[in-house]
Amino acid sequence: MERGMNKAALAFVFLMGLAPLSPTKAQDDFGMWYEVAAEKKLLKGLNVSAEMGFRTRNNTRTADRLNFGVEAEYKIIKWLKISAGYSLLDYNNKEKLSLKQDNVRANKWTPSYWGIRHRVNVSLSGSVDIDRLSISLRERWQYTYRPEVANKKYDIEEMTWEPVLSKHKHLLRSRIQLSYDFPHWKFDPFVNVELFNGWDLQKVRYQAGVEYRYRKQHIFALTYRYQDNRNDDDQETDIHLVGISYKFKF
Amino acid sequence: MKKNLIGIAMLSLILSACKNDDQYDMSNFKSDIEIVFNGTTATVTGDTNGFVSVNGADVTVNGANNTTANMTITLSGTASEGSLLVYNIRSYTLVLKGVSIHNSDGPAINNQGSKSLYLVLADGTTNTLSDGTTYADAPVNASGTAIDQKATLFSEGQIYFNGTGTLNVNGNAKNGVASDDYVTILSSTINIMVASTGSNGIKANDGMFIKGGNLNIDVAAKGARGIKNDARTEISGGTTTIITRGACKIETIDGITDTTSCAGIKSDSLFTMTAGTLTITSKGDGGKGINCSENIEFNGGSMTVVTEGDNKIGKPKAVKSDTGIILRGGYFHAECKKSWACDNGSDSDEPEDHLTIVGTPVSKTIGKRLVEVSF
Repeated sequence: MERGMNKAALAFVFLMGLAPLSPTKAQDDFGMWYEVAAEKKLLKGLNVSAEMGFRTRNNTRTADRLNFGVEAEYKIIKWLKISAGYSLLDYNNKEKLSLKQDNVRANKWTPSYWGIRHRVNVSLSGSVDIDRLSISLRERWQYTYRPEVANKKYDIEEMTWEPVLSKHKHLLRSRIQLSYDFPHWKFDPFVNVELFNGWDLQKVRYQAGVEYRYRKQHIFALTYRYQDNRNDDDQETDIHLVGISYKFKF
Repeated sequence: MKKNLIGIAMLSLILSACKNDDQYDMSNFKSDIEIVFNGTTATVTGDTNGFVSVNGADVTVNGANNTTANMTITLSGTASEGSLLVYNIRSYTLVLKGVSIHNSDGPAINNQGSKSLYLVLADGTTNTLSDGTTYADAPVNASGTAIDQKATLFSEGQIYFNGTGTLNVNGNAKNGVASDDYVTILSSTINIMVASTGSNGIKANDGMFIKGGNLNIDVAAKGARGIKNDARTEISGGTTTIITRGACKIETIDGITDTTSCAGIKSDSLFTMTAGTLTITSKGDGGKGINCSENIEFNGGSMTVVTEGDNKIGKPKAVKSDTGIILRGGYFHAECKKSWACDNGSDSDEPEDHLTIVGTPVSKTIGKRLVEVSF
């Protein structure tokens, strides 16, 4: 009975994480994230993994991106890991309409288009365990390169199509996470907050979810995310996301 | 069974993510409006955005909230009593495709948009705009202000003349063509006739640029200018012929009498010519060929300016500048029957002091009443 009460109290704490810390707006979007991953332990402390993902936006009516990534992670010491990864993203860039200097007349229109992005990242993760509660901090440098794409931007006045020029972007992502390992229970809840910093704060992602392990090899996760976009140049609206993932551990 | 249902639900969610979330498509950025005049009526097609309203043959295109559509308006037919009035927040193209518009009490075409007006004279067409001798009270705009009506063809914004057709403008009340911005002629044939009841041939506030085409201006009013420009004037191509027929205009305002002489070109800032042909004939008393407040710099092309008028009221000059007349190339001919051919503000009696020649001309004749220099 007491154990049940404890679980319920902790579950309540994690459910509180479901509520984003900033107020949501009526025009917020909703989307889904689907991820499938496989992980293999190569050596002691060294794991490699590969994952595929698919995301939607526009209340799940529009495909947002496809991604394929590989990552290697090495445990330096008990509480510190380092990892590096590469992702190939096929991104459904959102429509953009830029205005002229008068801020009234439309200048250039870029309808939505699928375009490739290359992304690399290097992360350091530190964690401490307090009883069954784990607190971790991950600092990730992320570099994304978007190659030039021809004839995707329409100059309204000139009635001509122009290329969308190549672009690269550096981000420092800082994530703090709490997770709890219930004894004799296969569901492990977690909450985290992640800040995306360019030269300024670009977005904040709040997450809460639960992992379910089946026979140690199969890990399922159901996640709720709220993404508060501040100065993100992809002009994304704030979005609620539900993520479903599966990881197979060799 | 449950697993299957969950799988099917997820699959359907994924498959349903195939809708485009764009708010715009190409139709948002294009508006091709065709207006055909027929006597005292007009028919409109292609007005998908609902910009156009018609009253008889008076057509109003209201794109005051048009932030996206790149508009093209094509005019054809004949309006015996009609007009086109355009409010548009964006620049747009106006194609004259064999149109004739007469408006007895206002401008034939009045562009109230402050952005560029690309006026295209369609290939092989002749187009005619004319007005009456007096204008009715101007309509008021959305701000409640009476709009400007400064010419038979008036534009608040820049006008670019283009195309290979012909435009005849017959002005009877005010200017033939006027812009509160600048006027650029790229091509086409433009014939502007302004009666003695009117004013200037072309009035530009912020510049006059002739780069090609054929421009013929004939103005008859007292004190009228073929081209009156409050800013810089550049001729770099085309063939321009200007005739002024009026004498000086004498006005007494608040007890002060002012005399305004005619001029082929009156420029309140730098005048430069690098190519093309310019021919000006001034016939009235005190008339001037070119009258410029700053330097006249002639670097190329062919310029022939003749003032035939008397000097009973005004002081005729073929080429007059308040600061300097500088010749560097081309063919320059200035001739004045009754006074100095060239006047750069100098008090000297020596004709050579009235202009500056840079370089070595092939031939030169420099006299008081005739200056002819060929490089």
